Amino acid sequence: MAMTDIVGIAVSTIILGSIYGLVAIGMTLIYGTLRILDMSQGSMVMVGSFIAWGILVVAGWNPALAIIAAFIATFILGALTQLVSVQPLMRRRSAIDFEMVTFITTFAVAMVLTNVALELFGPFQRNVTPVISGGISIYHGVDLPYQSLTMALVSIAMMAALGVFLARTRWGMAIRAVAQDLDAARLMGVPVGKLYPLTMGLASALAGVAGVFLGGLYFAYPQAGDLPLLEALIVVIFGGLGSLPGTVYAAYAIGLIQSAAEVIVGTTWSLPILYGVILLVLIIRPYGLLGKPSEARL
Amino acid sequence: MSGPMLEVAGLSAGYLDTTVIAGLALTVQAGEAAVLIGPNGHGKTTLLRAISGLITPSAGRVLLDGQDVTGRPAEQISALGLVHVPQGDGLFAEMTVEENLMMGAFPAASWRDRRAAVARVYEQFPVVAERASQRARTLSGGERRLVALGRALMRPSRITLIDEPSLGLAPVAIDAVYEAIGRLKESGATIVLVEENFTHVGAVADAVHVVETGTIIASGPYAELSADPAIVQTYLGSL
Amino acid sequence: MSDRQPLTRSAFPAMTSGRWALAGLAVLLAAAMPLVMTNQYALGVMITTLILLVLNISWNFVLGVAGVWNFGQLALYALGGYGAGIIMLHSSLSPWLALLAGGLVAMVAAILLAFPTLRLYGIYTSLLTFAFAEVIQYVILNDGSGLTGGSFGLPIVPGLYSALSLAASAKAYYWTALAVVVISTVLLAAIGHSRLGIALRGIRDAPAYAAARGVDPLRYRIGAFAISGFLAGVAGGLYVSYDQSISPSVMGLTPMSVYVTMLVIGGLGTATGPILGTILVQLVATLLVTHPGAEFTILGIFLLVVVIFVPDGLAGMIGRYWRRIAAWAAEGEQTETEAADAAGETEGSPDQHVA
Repeated sequence: MAMTDIVGIAVSTIILGSIYGLVAIGMTLIYGTLRILDMSQGSMVMVGSFIAWGILVVAGWNPALAIIAAFIATFILGALTQLVSVQPLMRRRSAIDFEMVTFITTFAVAMVLTNVALELFGPFQRNVTPVISGGISIYHGVDLPYQSLTMALVSIAMMAALGVFLARTRWGMAIRAVAQDLDAARLMGVPVGKLYPLTMGLASALAGVAGVFLGGLYFAYPQAGDLPLLEALIVVIFGGLGSLPGTVYAAYAIGLIQSAAEVIVGTTWSLPILYGVILLVLIIRPYGLLGKPSEARL
Repeated sequence: MSGPMLEVAGLSAGYLDTTVIAGLALTVQAGEAAVLIGPNGHGKTTLLRAISGLITPSAGRVLLDGQDVTGRPAEQISALGLVHVPQGDGLFAEMTVEENLMMGAFPAASWRDRRAAVARVYEQFPVVAERASQRARTLSGGERRLVALGRALMRPSRITLIDEPSLGLAPVAIDAVYEAIGRLKESGATIVLVEENFTHVGAVADAVHVVETGTIIASGPYAELSADPAIVQTYLGSL
Repeated sequence: MSDRQPLTRSAFPAMTSGRWALAGLAVLLAAAMPLVMTNQYALGVMITTLILLVLNISWNFVLGVAGVWNFGQLALYALGGYGAGIIMLHSSLSPWLALLAGGLVAMVAAILLAFPTLRLYGIYTSLLTFAFAEVIQYVILNDGSGLTGGSFGLPIVPGLYSALSLAASAKAYYWTALAVVVISTVLLAAIGHSRLGIALRGIRDAPAYAAARGVDPLRYRIGAFAISGFLAGVAGGLYVSYDQSISPSVMGLTPMSVYVTMLVIGGLGTATGPILGTILVQLVATLLVTHPGAEFTILGIFLLVVVIFVPDGLAGMIGRYWRRIAAWAAEGEQTETEAADAAGETEGSPDQHVA
């Protein structure tokens, strides 16, 4: 394998891993706190992409505005999703298969969001202006677009910001408390009725920001959330449900596998090879890389 | 003199299709330490959870200092001054001791208030202060129980519910725990204590209530019930 | 509690003679459809609906009754279809045997899939089965040998009724599909009340208790997957025969979400759920075929509302209203039949406790 390939794989791993991390970390946050798999996360990416299209292409405004707008819009959407598709089920959670039912309800929300976009915008793939255009050449033949670089940096920054939020702020600590022991958190006076939508809003906002960047790379269209959802699911389950560190490791691991596969066997094979790897891993290590879902490690 | 701090009337509660407590009545006066004893699985823990709002009663009423709190969620009831130290200890295992304490003062308005409360707890529990930056799950059972008690002191409370504080602890640890509970009582707190181990309770208990098959079948001052041979034999083993 | 026990145990405790009559009537009406329906397009939609119904019935068994997060059923459907189609194309075997072979291929794949799912915690199974489906789809898509035809699908497959005229074969396919639907509904309902069904629901609802009672999850899960896989394969074989082709587009996230919607709206784990759900969703889909966005938005909202407010689906809801009407009509007379009905209404709906 040539040096070019190795550098290419390394760069691609960091970029893919960072963006996977940003989308997946929201899902982990949600699983750790609410104990559900939020299937609407992918559509939040799509919403972010369309907002970026609207602000950057249609209105021609500043990219920072796109990021802020996407954050706010998807935060609200995420909170609403919790209130509509999860909160009504909370009361019955011991009587039903809570995880499967919320899987379906959040999936229904995704279906609605995707198809409203379809009705509003049609199936066309719309170009989204990159936040930053141009790029540099890192090594012979290894080009690094600024868009990708910025995406990776912003993703890492946001993941770090989330970590600080959880570790040092009152609400962040409350979220961790709910993830570790719901009853005890309630006894401390944590208003879980407000905390749940806040958490889902926050997680969706992360996905929305990811969508601003991904739109620049992969267009804005109604189904734009399908692939990110799948990739986030893979990362989250691979890394151990409910474990934030695990999600980050898994994101880069998956990024590495995919990048390596792309270089070695080509882009068409990379995703199926990824699935093949997952099949194998799940057969050998049923709980993924890190930890069982009962041990939430936010 | 105002009414009782806690009044429970005709309370029924349980889980899914099972009723664990039925028609239970209990009164606790301000400053009193009431002890609930009885066989395992007969509803003592369920009663505490129904009072603190973790589970919703199916019938009956709970009045906290005259205020009807029946059916309100735990978050709200705790804001009214009810502190519940659950069975086990209810600590946040992945958080440090200090973070656990800070969570104890979650509703407190300012960061300064919370830090002041932490300082007070450290003063009372030097062992806890020593372990301040350790993760809760690395502590021994006795230390965790002390942290849980310290956490319970982090905010002003009108009534403190403590569920089996000596469960699974070595005798030395139990001594420390009950010393802390004793200090709590001396400060004038109203306490409801669930306990299997009757040895240490004597120093703290004002009233004893026997809980069996979901209701209270006997009540009275500690001196009286501990002298009753039937009760002693059935529930208390040896004193 | 009645003190008179029936001497024999019916395989279908929820069925009274009245209900059998109703079901029989429904089947007769359905069978009469092709004789009165002149619109070939509508007939085609109905045939497709029936074939999908077989698939959904098979899926309902694993997803609903056994409670396994199986999202790979479409791969089994495709394997059955491709298996049957390829055999029909490349051998002189009777197309009926080819159909059976397709079912067997799918069954074997399903059994293989069953093993790893046992070790996995619920949600992980979704990923495993989904990854499985993706790999199968990929292998079919990129088959260079020409066997599967890649993205174009199979060349014209003769099917079961190649000798008949177009109109006649349509009717034949309709009745064949209807027969398979009826047989599989009855079969799976019977199994649902048998030891296998009870064990599956026990494992689904209370795994620790089931284990303590010595129920071996492996045997029962393999059984569930085998039956479900076989039926899915037969559905695929029917599809490839009627459509005279099959392509990888039968799999994927979009069709999967439609079928899961059908199952959930109808009532997961119930006997009549798949029927109600499939017909309803197909109706909506056919009416709104020109506006896929609106169609799926409506389906999504419907799905959300049903899951939250009517968790046992349409079948459960209808069942409950039926019982209320029956109780009202009997004006408080507690007959033994009613007591039995109240005890064992729908087959394994999620909020039922089965001893």
